[in-house]
Amino acid sequence: MFRDKQAKVLIFLVCMILGIMLATQFKSAENAKNSISQQRVEDLAERLKTAEKDKATLTEEVKKLHKQSGGDAMALEITALRARAGETAMEGPGVKVTLDDSTVVTKPGDNANLYIIHDDDLLRLINELRAAGAEALAVNKERLLDISEIRCAGPTVSVNNTRFSPPYQIIALGEPKTLESALRLRGGVIETLKFWGISVKVEQSDNLTVPAFKGTRRYEFAKVKEGAPQ
Amino acid sequence: MIYPIIGVLVGILVGLYLPIVPQAYVKLLSVALMAALDSGLGGIRAAKEGCYDNEIFISGFFVNGLLAVFLCYSGIRLGIDLYFVAVLAFGLRIFTNIAIIRRLYLKK
Repeated sequence: MFRDKQAKVLIFLVCMILGIMLATQFKSAENAKNSISQQRVEDLAERLKTAEKDKATLTEEVKKLHKQSGGDAMALEITALRARAGETAMEGPGVKVTLDDSTVVTKPGDNANLYIIHDDDLLRLINELRAAGAEALAVNKERLLDISEIRCAGPTVSVNNTRFSPPYQIIALGEPKTLESALRLRGGVIETLKFWGISVKVEQSDNLTVPAFKGTRRYEFAKVKEGAPQ
Repeated sequence: MIYPIIGVLVGILVGLYLPIVPQAYVKLLSVALMAALDSGLGGIRAAKEGCYDNEIFISGFFVNGLLAVFLCYSGIRLGIDLYFVAVLAFGLRIFTNIAIIRRLYLKK
Protein backbone atom coordinates (compact mmCIF):
# COMPACT_ATOMS: atom_id res chain seq x y z
CA MET A 1 0.00 0.00 0.00
CA PHE A 2 2.75 2.44 0.93
CA ARG A 3 5.57 2.76 -1.45
CA ASP A 4 8.58 2.89 0.81
CA LYS A 5 9.76 2.03 4.31
CA GLN A 6 9.84 5.66 5.38
CA ALA A 7 6.17 6.14 4.61
CA LYS A 8 5.30 3.08 6.66
CA VAL A 9 7.22 4.35 9.65
CA LEU A 10 5.64 7.78 9.36
CA ILE A 11 2.11 6.50 9.08
CA PHE A 12 2.81 4.23 12.02
CA LEU A 13 4.02 7.18 14.12
CA VAL A 14 1.08 9.36 13.13
CA CYS A 15 -1.35 6.64 14.00
CA MET A 16 0.42 6.12 17.30
CA ILE A 17 -0.02 9.80 18.14
CA LEU A 18 -3.64 9.45 17.13
CA GLY A 19 -3.98 6.51 19.51
CA ILE A 20 -2.39 8.41 22.38
CA MET A 21 -4.78 11.28 21.82
CA LEU A 22 -7.73 8.92 21.69
CA ALA A 23 -6.75 7.28 24.96
CA THR A 24 -6.11 10.50 26.83
CA GLN A 25 -9.29 12.05 25.52
CA PHE A 26 -11.25 9.00 26.59
CA LYS A 27 -9.72 9.11 30.05
CA SER A 28 -10.38 12.84 30.39
CA ALA A 29 -14.00 12.39 29.38
CA GLU A 30 -14.42 9.62 31.94
CA ASN A 31 -12.79 11.79 34.55
CA ALA A 32 -15.05 14.74 33.74
CA LYS A 33 -18.07 12.50 34.13
CA ASN A 34 -16.98 11.47 37.60
CA SER A 35 -15.81 14.80 38.91
CA ILE A 36 -18.28 17.02 40.68
CA SER A 37 -19.38 19.93 38.58
CA GLN A 38 -19.18 23.51 39.79
CA GLN A 39 -22.96 23.76 39.77
CA ARG A 40 -23.22 20.88 42.18
CA VAL A 41 -20.59 22.39 44.47
CA GLU A 42 -22.50 25.65 44.68
CA ASP A 43 -25.72 23.80 45.29
CA LEU A 44 -24.20 21.86 48.15
CA ALA A 45 -22.64 24.97 49.66
CA GLU A 46 -26.03 26.66 49.60
CA ARG A 47 -27.65 23.72 51.32
CA LEU A 48 -24.93 23.63 53.94
CA LYS A 49 -25.54 27.29 54.69
CA THR A 50 -29.27 26.81 55.17
CA ALA A 51 -28.65 23.76 57.31
CA GLU A 52 -26.31 25.74 59.53
CA LYS A 53 -28.86 28.51 59.86
CA ASP A 54 -31.50 25.99 60.81
CA LYS A 55 -29.18 24.53 63.36
CA ALA A 56 -28.56 27.92 64.95
CA THR A 57 -32.29 28.66 65.28
CA LEU A 58 -32.99 25.21 66.65
CA THR A 59 -30.21 25.53 69.21
CA GLU A 60 -31.73 28.80 70.28
CA GLU A 61 -35.10 27.11 70.62
CA VAL A 62 -33.63 24.29 72.67
CA LYS A 63 -32.07 26.83 74.98
CA LYS A 64 -35.38 28.62 75.35
CA LEU A 65 -37.31 25.44 76.02
CA HIS A 66 -34.68 24.32 78.46
CA LYS A 67 -35.16 27.52 80.35
CA GLN A 68 -38.93 27.11 80.42
CA SER A 69 -39.18 23.49 81.39
CA GLY A 70 -37.79 21.94 84.51
CA GLY A 71 -34.51 22.94 86.06
CA ASP A 72 -36.26 25.74 87.93
CA ALA A 73 -33.72 25.61 90.70
CA MET A 74 -30.97 25.82 88.12
CA ALA A 75 -32.63 28.75 86.41
CA LEU A 76 -32.98 30.57 89.72
CA GLU A 77 -29.38 29.91 90.53
CA ILE A 78 -28.32 31.21 87.12
CA THR A 79 -30.39 34.37 87.54
CA ALA A 80 -28.87 34.95 90.97
CA LEU A 81 -25.37 34.49 89.61
CA ARG A 82 -26.04 36.79 86.70
CA ALA A 83 -27.36 39.43 89.04
CA ARG A 84 -24.24 39.13 91.11
CA ALA A 85 -22.08 39.36 88.01
CA GLY A 86 -23.92 42.52 86.97
CA GLU A 87 -25.37 41.03 83.81
CA THR A 88 -28.95 41.92 84.71
CA ALA A 89 -30.55 45.29 85.16
CA MET A 90 -31.45 46.03 88.79
CA GLU A 91 -34.14 48.22 90.26
CA GLY A 92 -35.00 49.47 93.70
CA PRO A 93 -34.73 52.44 96.01
CA GLY A 94 -31.64 54.61 95.91
CA VAL A 95 -30.29 58.01 95.04
CA LYS A 96 -29.63 59.80 91.81
CA VAL A 97 -26.70 62.21 91.91
CA THR A 98 -26.26 64.69 89.09
CA LEU A 99 -22.98 66.53 88.73
CA ASP A 100 -22.26 69.38 86.39
CA ASP A 101 -19.28 71.62 85.79
CA SER A 102 -18.85 74.79 87.75
CA THR A 103 -20.80 77.83 86.67
CA VAL A 104 -18.39 80.11 88.48
CA VAL A 105 -16.64 82.49 86.14
CA THR A 106 -12.93 81.89 86.50
CA LYS A 107 -10.98 84.89 87.55
CA PRO A 108 -7.87 85.74 85.59
CA GLY A 109 -4.94 83.85 87.02
CA ASP A 110 -7.18 81.11 88.39
CA ASN A 111 -6.62 77.54 87.33
CA ALA A 112 -9.70 76.59 85.28
CA ASN A 113 -8.90 72.96 85.92
CA LEU A 114 -10.08 73.30 89.48
CA TYR A 115 -13.61 74.18 88.40
CA ILE A 116 -14.35 71.17 86.25
CA ILE A 117 -15.21 67.64 87.25
CA HIS A 118 -12.34 65.19 87.21
CA ASP A 119 -12.26 61.45 87.33
CA ASP A 120 -11.10 61.49 90.93
CA ASP A 121 -14.12 63.57 91.94
CA LEU A 122 -16.34 60.86 90.52
CA LEU A 123 -14.22 58.17 92.12
CA ARG A 124 -14.43 59.75 95.53
CA LEU A 125 -18.17 60.12 95.21
CA ILE A 126 -18.61 56.52 94.15
CA ASN A 127 -16.29 55.32 96.86
CA GLU A 128 -18.42 57.13 99.40
CA LEU A 129 -21.57 55.57 98.00
CA ARG A 130 -20.02 52.12 98.17
CA ALA A 131 -18.94 52.71 101.71
CA ALA A 132 -22.50 53.64 102.52
CA GLY A 133 -23.69 50.29 101.23
CA ALA A 134 -24.69 50.95 97.63
CA GLU A 135 -25.54 47.63 96.01
CA ALA A 136 -25.54 48.60 92.34
CA LEU A 137 -24.00 51.63 90.70
CA ALA A 138 -24.17 53.19 87.28
CA VAL A 139 -22.64 56.26 85.70
CA ASN A 140 -24.64 57.68 82.78
CA LYS A 141 -26.24 54.29 82.04
CA GLU A 142 -22.94 52.42 82.29
CA ARG A 143 -23.01 49.80 85.01
CA LEU A 144 -20.09 49.97 87.40
CA LEU A 145 -18.51 46.63 88.16
CA ASP A 146 -15.28 45.53 89.72
CA ILE A 147 -13.63 45.78 86.31
CA SER A 148 -15.09 49.17 85.37
CA GLU A 149 -12.68 52.04 85.09
CA ILE A 150 -13.35 55.69 85.71
CA ARG A 151 -10.60 57.69 84.21
CA CYS A 152 -9.83 60.93 82.58
CA ALA A 153 -9.93 60.84 78.79
CA GLY A 154 -9.13 64.31 77.61
CA PRO A 155 -12.04 66.57 78.39
CA THR A 156 -14.26 63.56 78.98
CA VAL A 157 -14.43 60.75 81.48
CA SER A 158 -14.31 57.17 80.30
CA VAL A 159 -16.39 54.51 82.03
CA ASN A 160 -16.36 50.94 80.69
CA ASN A 161 -14.48 52.35 77.69
CA THR A 162 -17.39 54.65 76.92
CA ARG A 163 -16.72 58.35 77.07
CA PHE A 164 -19.00 60.81 78.79
CA SER A 165 -18.97 64.54 79.17
CA PRO A 166 -20.76 66.49 81.89
CA PRO A 167 -23.35 66.36 83.28
CA TYR A 168 -22.72 63.05 84.97
CA GLN A 169 -25.56 61.14 86.48
CA ILE A 170 -24.76 58.53 89.08
CA ILE A 171 -27.43 56.09 90.18
CA ALA A 172 -26.85 54.09 93.32
CA LEU A 173 -29.25 51.48 94.68
CA GLY A 174 -29.34 51.15 98.45
CA GLU A 175 -30.95 52.69 101.48
CA PRO A 176 -31.67 56.23 100.14
CA LYS A 177 -31.28 58.05 103.44
CA THR A 178 -27.99 56.42 104.34
CA LEU A 179 -26.60 57.11 100.90
CA GLU A 180 -27.58 60.74 100.87
CA SER A 181 -26.36 61.45 104.35
CA ALA A 182 -23.04 59.78 103.55
CA LEU A 183 -22.62 62.21 100.68
CA ARG A 184 -23.68 65.22 102.70
CA LEU A 185 -21.32 64.64 105.61
CA ARG A 186 -19.67 67.76 106.96
CA GLY A 187 -16.37 68.01 105.16
CA GLY A 188 -17.54 65.24 102.86
CA VAL A 189 -17.61 64.89 99.10
CA ILE A 190 -20.42 67.25 98.29
CA GLU A 191 -19.08 70.01 100.42
CA THR A 192 -15.72 69.80 98.71
CA LEU A 193 -17.28 69.84 95.29
CA LYS A 194 -19.57 72.71 96.15
CA PHE A 195 -16.53 74.68 97.23
CA TRP A 196 -15.36 74.68 93.65
CA GLY A 197 -18.76 75.65 92.36
CA ILE A 198 -19.54 72.26 90.91
CA SER A 199 -23.27 71.72 90.96
CA VAL A 200 -24.36 68.59 92.79
CA LYS A 201 -27.96 67.47 92.91
CA VAL A 202 -29.02 64.51 95.02
CA GLU A 203 -32.46 63.01 94.61
CA GLN A 204 -33.83 60.15 96.66
CA SER A 205 -36.16 57.81 94.87
CA ASP A 206 -37.98 54.57 95.60
CA ASN A 207 -37.78 53.26 92.10
CA LEU A 208 -34.51 53.59 90.23
CA THR A 209 -33.10 51.32 87.57
CA VAL A 210 -29.50 50.43 87.03
CA PRO A 211 -28.78 48.93 83.59
CA ALA A 212 -27.00 45.67 82.99
CA PHE A 213 -23.34 45.51 82.15
CA LYS A 214 -23.14 45.72 78.38
CA GLY A 215 -19.54 44.74 77.79
CA THR A 216 -17.96 41.33 77.87
CA ARG A 217 -15.64 39.96 80.41
CA ARG A 218 -12.87 37.57 79.50
CA TYR A 219 -10.25 35.92 81.56
CA GLU A 220 -7.07 35.90 79.56
CA PHE A 221 -4.57 35.60 82.34
CA ALA A 222 -6.50 34.72 85.47
CA LYS A 223 -7.55 31.10 85.79
CA VAL A 224 -9.74 29.32 88.29
CA LYS A 225 -7.45 27.93 90.91
CA GLU A 226 -7.31 24.18 90.97
CA GLY A 227 -9.02 22.62 93.93
CA ALA A 228 -11.04 25.77 94.50
CA PRO A 229 -14.45 25.07 96.04
CA GLN A 230 -16.98 24.58 93.30
CA MET B 1 -3.22 -1.50 6.15
CA ILE B 2 -1.65 -3.25 9.09
CA TYR B 3 0.68 -0.39 10.08
CA PRO B 4 -1.97 2.20 10.91
CA ILE B 5 -3.94 -0.27 13.03
CA ILE B 6 -0.88 -1.38 14.98
CA GLY B 7 0.07 2.27 15.41
CA VAL B 8 -3.32 3.15 16.87
CA LEU B 9 -3.23 0.18 19.25
CA VAL B 10 0.27 1.00 20.48
CA GLY B 11 -0.79 4.63 20.90
CA ILE B 12 -3.81 3.65 22.98
CA LEU B 13 -1.64 1.45 25.20
CA VAL B 14 0.83 4.30 25.74
CA GLY B 15 -1.96 6.82 26.26
CA LEU B 16 -3.54 4.79 29.02
CA TYR B 17 -0.43 5.36 31.10
CA LEU B 18 -0.28 9.10 30.51
CA PRO B 19 -1.74 11.57 33.00
CA ILE B 20 -5.21 13.00 32.56
CA VAL B 21 -5.50 16.24 30.63
CA PRO B 22 -6.73 19.14 32.79
CA GLN B 23 -10.37 20.07 32.25
CA ALA B 24 -9.41 23.39 30.66
CA TYR B 25 -7.55 21.73 27.79
CA VAL B 26 -10.01 18.98 26.95
CA LYS B 27 -11.64 21.03 24.21
CA LEU B 28 -8.30 21.83 22.60
CA LEU B 29 -7.26 18.20 22.70
CA SER B 30 -10.51 17.06 21.16
CA VAL B 31 -10.04 19.44 18.25
CA ALA B 32 -6.47 18.20 17.81
CA LEU B 33 -7.80 14.67 17.89
CA MET B 34 -10.27 15.43 15.11
CA ALA B 35 -7.47 17.00 13.05
CA ALA B 36 -5.22 13.98 13.59
CA LEU B 37 -8.01 11.58 12.66
CA ASP B 38 -8.68 13.56 9.50
CA SER B 39 -4.99 13.61 8.56
CA GLY B 40 -4.57 9.90 9.20
CA LEU B 41 -7.55 9.00 7.06
CA GLY B 42 -6.37 11.49 4.44
CA GLY B 43 -3.03 9.73 4.34
CA ILE B 44 -4.65 6.33 3.88
CA ARG B 45 -6.86 7.69 1.14
CA ALA B 46 -3.89 9.27 -0.63
CA ALA B 47 -2.01 6.00 -0.43
CA LYS B 48 -4.99 4.21 -1.95
CA GLU B 49 -5.19 6.71 -4.72
CA GLY B 50 -1.49 6.35 -5.31
CA CYS B 51 -0.62 9.98 -4.83
CA TYR B 52 0.76 9.67 -1.32
CA ASP B 53 3.53 12.10 -0.45
CA ASN B 54 5.50 12.00 2.75
CA GLU B 55 5.97 15.71 3.12
CA ILE B 56 2.38 16.62 2.43
CA PHE B 57 1.20 13.98 4.85
CA ILE B 58 3.46 14.97 7.77
CA SER B 59 3.11 18.71 7.27
CA GLY B 60 -0.65 18.34 6.91
CA PHE B 61 -0.84 16.31 10.09
CA PHE B 62 1.01 18.80 12.27
CA VAL B 63 -0.10 22.05 10.65
CA ASN B 64 -3.77 21.04 10.65
CA GLY B 65 -3.59 19.93 14.28
CA LEU B 66 -1.78 23.00 15.55
CA LEU B 67 -3.93 25.36 13.51
CA ALA B 68 -7.10 23.76 14.83
CA VAL B 69 -5.86 24.01 18.41
CA PHE B 70 -4.86 27.64 17.89
CA LEU B 71 -8.22 28.46 16.35
CA CYS B 72 -10.05 26.85 19.23
CA TYR B 73 -7.86 28.58 21.80
CA SER B 74 -8.37 32.03 20.29
CA GLY B 75 -12.08 31.25 20.10
CA ILE B 76 -12.15 30.57 23.82
CA ARG B 77 -10.24 33.79 24.43
CA LEU B 78 -12.55 35.84 22.24
CA GLY B 79 -15.72 34.23 23.47
CA ILE B 80 -16.55 32.71 20.08
CA ASP B 81 -17.26 29.01 19.85
CA LEU B 82 -14.77 28.32 17.06
CA TYR B 83 -14.41 24.89 18.62
CA PHE B 84 -17.63 23.78 16.95
CA VAL B 85 -16.48 25.11 13.59
CA ALA B 86 -13.28 23.09 13.76
CA VAL B 87 -15.07 19.95 14.88
CA LEU B 88 -17.68 20.34 12.14
CA ALA B 89 -15.12 20.97 9.40
CA PHE B 90 -12.96 18.03 10.42
CA GLY B 91 -16.02 15.85 10.86
CA LEU B 92 -17.14 16.53 7.31
CA ARG B 93 -13.68 15.83 5.97
CA ILE B 94 -13.41 12.61 7.92
CA PHE B 95 -16.68 11.40 6.43
CA THR B 96 -15.58 12.32 2.93
CA ASN B 97 -12.27 10.53 3.39
CA ILE B 98 -13.95 7.43 4.75
CA ALA B 99 -16.38 7.44 1.85
CA ILE B 100 -13.57 7.69 -0.70
CA ILE B 101 -11.55 4.95 1.02
CA ARG B 102 -14.61 2.70 1.01
CA ARG B 103 -15.22 3.29 -2.67
CA LEU B 104 -11.58 2.65 -3.55
CA TYR B 105 -11.70 -0.64 -1.63
CA LEU B 106 -14.91 -1.74 -3.33
CA LYS B 107 -13.56 -0.86 -6.80
CA LYS B 108 -10.62 -3.20 -6.43
